[in-house]
Amino acid sequence: MTATVQPPLLDVRDFGLEFRTRSGTVRALEAVNLRLHKGEIVGLVGESGSGKSVLSYALLGISDRAARVTGGQALFGGLDLLQADEATLADLRGREVSMIFQSPRTALNPIRTVGAQIEDVLRRHAAARGQALGERLQQVAVQALREVAIADPERRARAYPFELSGGMCQRVMIALALACRPLMLIADEPTTGLDVTTQAAVMDLLTTLARERQMATLFITHDLALAADHCDRLVVMHAGHVVETAPTARLFAAPRHPYTAQLMGSTPSATTRLAELRSVPGNLPDLRRSDLPACRFAERCERADERCRRERPPLDTLHEHAVACWHPLVASAKPTPGEAVHG
Amino acid sequence: MADGYKPGTATVRPAPTAPLLQVESLHKRYPVSGRRGSFLHAVDDVSLTIAAGESVGLVGESGCGKSTLSRLLARLHDASGGRIVFDGTDLAALPAQGFARHPQRAAIQMVFQDAGDSLNPRFTAREAIAEPLQLLAGLTGVALQQRVDEVATEVGLPLALLSRYGHQLSGGQKARVGIARALAVRPRLLILDEPTAALDVSVQAVVLQLLARLRAEHGLAYLFVSHDLNVVRLLTDRVLVMYLGRLVEAGPSEAVFRQPRHPYTQALVSAIPGQGPRIRLQGEVSSPIDPPAHACRFASRCPRAEDRCQREMPLLQAVGPAHQAACHFVASC
Repeated sequence: MTATVQPPLLDVRDFGLEFRTRSGTVRALEAVNLRLHKGEIVGLVGESGSGKSVLSYALLGISDRAARVTGGQALFGGLDLLQADEATLADLRGREVSMIFQSPRTALNPIRTVGAQIEDVLRRHAAARGQALGERLQQVAVQALREVAIADPERRARAYPFELSGGMCQRVMIALALACRPLMLIADEPTTGLDVTTQAAVMDLLTTLARERQMATLFITHDLALAADHCDRLVVMHAGHVVETAPTARLFAAPRHPYTAQLMGSTPSATTRLAELRSVPGNLPDLRRSDLPACRFAERCERADERCRRERPPLDTLHEHAVACWHPLVASAKPTPGEAVHG
Repeated sequence: MADGYKPGTATVRPAPTAPLLQVESLHKRYPVSGRRGSFLHAVDDVSLTIAAGESVGLVGESGCGKSTLSRLLARLHDASGGRIVFDGTDLAALPAQGFARHPQRAAIQMVFQDAGDSLNPRFTAREAIAEPLQLLAGLTGVALQQRVDEVATEVGLPLALLSRYGHQLSGGQKARVGIARALAVRPRLLILDEPTAALDVSVQAVVLQLLARLRAEHGLAYLFVSHDLNVVRLLTDRVLVMYLGRLVEAGPSEAVFRQPRHPYTQALVSAIPGQGPRIRLQGEVSSPIDPPAHACRFASRCPRAEDRCQREMPLLQAVGPAHQAACHFVASC
């Protein structure tokens, strides 16, 4: 695609973040590298606790107060999101960068109509640009609901969140996030808790809008199969490290990091048998430990040796398929689609 | 179907091949507040059987009544009508409140969705597993502690963890406590309500394999409620599909997933991530409040719906060996 030759819209370099807590310092993110191009849908996958949400919150400047940036940059169109002051970020959020949260019912204000909540966002950002939408405000809000395929949007704009189904609430969240036509969207587990049929409809809507508007989309999920269905590229996180990134088809055809391979082996598909399912041994390491191995997967990895414990494997970001491992799996374990098969 | 039966009056003679659980024409209606005479039909005329040692999946969208049905079968709620014959006794005739002390209470146990939320936060793992043993089996002292150790070992929970509280356990360990608690009183039917929904895939696999092993070792019957169809396929012999309170399809899991016959099941199966094109459902789920008695519940979203579907409720009919679907058009589905 042409996207790769353009400079990335979001360029996160060597980003580190820690939380100071009473029970010690949690080194939540370390040397995170991540790029997101215009029009690209990137899936961020990993177990819960791997740092996916912490990363996305930090990018929006809505981290917990105990958070402290320990290094790196997050360049968004030339602006470093990690250094920007609160006023700049407040103007950016909702207008250029938007987020869809996990549980729409708790993310929406329960005592205001959904139309009024969309109007709030529009008003805030129109004012920032010195415009007044005035009477058109309501109309634009209804239009935003229509664009997310909500039937009878005039009536639904007057509804409260509790009057809408879970899938409908998530559509409202999407309308809210996209009302100002952002350049970048972060969707944090947008379909968790929804039924498969509703999930499919919400994901179709999200990816169709992202493609139409050439939005850079970071889709956070723990569901590998779902990410595979909808993302151009995947980024795999483990215990605050990015361990592997590659175009979706390549990653699935030949995962190189042992963690990625094990995660895939633990995901039931339409054809796996129960005996074939493998779990990932061990748990995520406690990120408060002072004796964390340099590769944070070392203690769960059968390929690990002394070097893994001592020296952090870097992620070679120049490669399209990048892996942070001293002993990666052989790249051509299975032929990738499109490549010639010999023999 | 079950016309002529009156709950609790008929004498039930279990035939040699009688199923462990036989549900006939079960109904649950909830009155709608502020609308006198209006009822929400959560479970509507459901009949099913579960044989001893059989694993049956129950799938459907949220709000379709699968949780209500499982709670009726576990006798946590009273049914509005119908029979729940378990091992020869009609349980529906007993009030839910009295069932807590009924001898069959131990025979039907439930594993709840989020083990973290369903465990008493002030109980250690040992106390949580011991509680049903004290209440239902009357165990005390050494015998009680021995049984707790035994069942903890069986579910792969290290004995050293038994003194911990829920918040000191990982997700997988909490799931094991939930399973041990249900298993302790030697049930014959385990109702599992989304037992792995709160777990990461990395630990889900071991819990699923544990459930499969326990079932084989104890000859347990499972009713496995889940919306993760890939997981249901792995763990069940037969699957039931519910839509708005009614069963729309029932059959061997392999057949239902390979060749679903009801248009709703077809959409459901096609929506599983990681496979080919999807059937997109249009329209809205119709309301479960006072649904029209003679219309197919799925008609408002069905790609095949015709006038007939609004006038005539389709009943379950055979579409293959032990495979049934409730649609007027099954012949051509």
